[in-house]
Amino acid sequence: MDALDVNNISVGYSNDLIIKDLSVSMPKHKITTIVGPNGCGKSTLLKTIVRVLQAKEGAVFLEGKAIHTLDTKEVAKRMAILPQTAQAPSGLTVFELVSYGRFPHRKRMGRLSKQDYEYIHWALDVTGLNDLRDQPANALSGGQRQRVWIAMALAQGTDILVLDEPTTYLDLAHQLDILLLLQRLNKEEGRTIIMVLHDLNHASRFSDYMIAMRDGAIVTEGAPNEVMTCDYLRRVFQIDAELISCPYSANPVCLSYQLCEHSVGCKVR
Amino acid sequence: MTNKQWKTKSQLKKERQVKLTALIIFILISVCFFISLNTGHIRLSPQETLMTLFGQGTEQQSLILFDFRLPRMVIAILVGMGLAVSGAVLQGVVRNPLAEPGIIGINAGAGLAVMLFISFFATVSDAPVFAMPMIAFIGAGGVALLIYILSYKRHEGISPIRLVLTGIAIAAGIDALMIVLTLRLDPDNYQFLATWIAGSIWGSNWKFVLALLPWLLVFLPFIYSKSSVLNILTLGDETAIGLGAHMERERRILLILAVIVAAACVSVSGGIGFVGLIAPHLTRRLVGDKHEYIIPISAMVGGLLLLVADTLGRWMMQPSEIPAGIIVAVIGAPYFLYLLAKTKD
Repeated sequence: MDALDVNNISVGYSNDLIIKDLSVSMPKHKITTIVGPNGCGKSTLLKTIVRVLQAKEGAVFLEGKAIHTLDTKEVAKRMAILPQTAQAPSGLTVFELVSYGRFPHRKRMGRLSKQDYEYIHWALDVTGLNDLRDQPANALSGGQRQRVWIAMALAQGTDILVLDEPTTYLDLAHQLDILLLLQRLNKEEGRTIIMVLHDLNHASRFSDYMIAMRDGAIVTEGAPNEVMTCDYLRRVFQIDAELISCPYSANPVCLSYQLCEHSVGCKVR
Repeated sequence: MTNKQWKTKSQLKKERQVKLTALIIFILISVCFFISLNTGHIRLSPQETLMTLFGQGTEQQSLILFDFRLPRMVIAILVGMGLAVSGAVLQGVVRNPLAEPGIIGINAGAGLAVMLFISFFATVSDAPVFAMPMIAFIGAGGVALLIYILSYKRHEGISPIRLVLTGIAIAAGIDALMIVLTLRLDPDNYQFLATWIAGSIWGSNWKFVLALLPWLLVFLPFIYSKSSVLNILTLGDETAIGLGAHMERERRILLILAVIVAAACVSVSGGIGFVGLIAPHLTRRLVGDKHEYIIPISAMVGGLLLLVADTLGRWMMQPSEIPAGIIVAVIGAPYFLYLLAKTKD
């Protein structure tokens, strides 16, 4: 069974649909990445999947059940999200912020239970934040802060993790650091990871499944070597790319690229 | 079941710090309470005060203490608590540190209702004083509801920024309307209204304590029970939804709670502003950003603040009084400017 099935959804306002009649499935225990140019609707798709936006028509199914019919707290126990612009109030420590991830599991007045503490400490461990747990979250660097948000999502204890451009604003090393962490979570614990990435090479290197979008519709989907082809890159991004095989994953990556209108053609080396 | 062994060192330290803060504020309130009992036109020595409190005073002394000063001080503390908690909730819900009950039209609505009410009577002394809190409450609630409806949009619900802007616009409109209407009031009524708006704690009477207390007893604990919801609302809509909060519903409930509490307060105290702004801020500085701490501590800070303001107001220009609302504003305005200057990004 797939983790998420999107069935014929239309999102937006009646006269201005961003996504029209789109269907796609995201496999369980895999890393799925959505790519596409600015304004192609990938963030809208992601927000609809996580019920921040409501589909006008169609429905999103979480492990076979329509997500809008499920109690939102129950959904939160199975799917965690990391929005593009997460913000923390200034006076919170890393530990406090990560502990908020336990919200869906808590009774209204309850203190943190033993299980809550176990999840929080585990999340801090996995993300390597143990030494920083008493620091104010806002005083951390961008890369560390992103780890805090991931730790919060992990503390939620869900099988599915949805991330909207988790590497934006980070430098090269920190981007890789985050992606390797996600890869580890997927490989070692079988967590389903669904994300939007801007960097095609990262998407290709780390994904099991890629979804390429343009103008609110899916152009193609499949394994990275099926999606990262000259033809599709031209159709999705309007670029001509020189593709080589990635030395780390053996998936195709762009060596460099040119806008179609200036291009002399595409090459696969 | 305290899970003590699971807590980190800094958590335990923080909890101790919060308890200490609470203790210090409690001591300050007690000290101020005693000073306030002795403040007024007729001076009572501390000894006389104590004796009167234990039923050993003269008739005049007990009258002053039990019928004038004590209810007023109790009201000052309760109103301070209510406004502070209401402000803390609003700041959390609209995610704006500059929010306070005034922005959802509480003061404007209550003021307008009181004004319309007294303009029906030839003089203030004709007006049934005990109906006043009810009238003010309805006015405050009505305007808050109007602001809510105007800032509500289908599909999107309530956006914090729209709520704040609508609130400011409506409050400005009501203020303007009130200026026009005051021109038709007779001088006595006008004076009553002016002190009312300035936030004199005018209802120094046990009946007003009884009018206010039930609201706070019911709703402050309820608000406290919503601490964890407030916590995650401050993380932004998307994160809060991801964590399984019923965004629209929770936001609406919390807004209603903030409105009820603030309206109940303003209805017996008159238009006091700034307490709901400053108290949560001071509190955040003292105990950080978790609402489990903010709600109770800001209630205490608010109570202290208004008690001090009312005491100062009674003492500074004896035998006449300066409304507590003005004292709070005199302290509050510079603090507000300081905040603005210090706020980054």
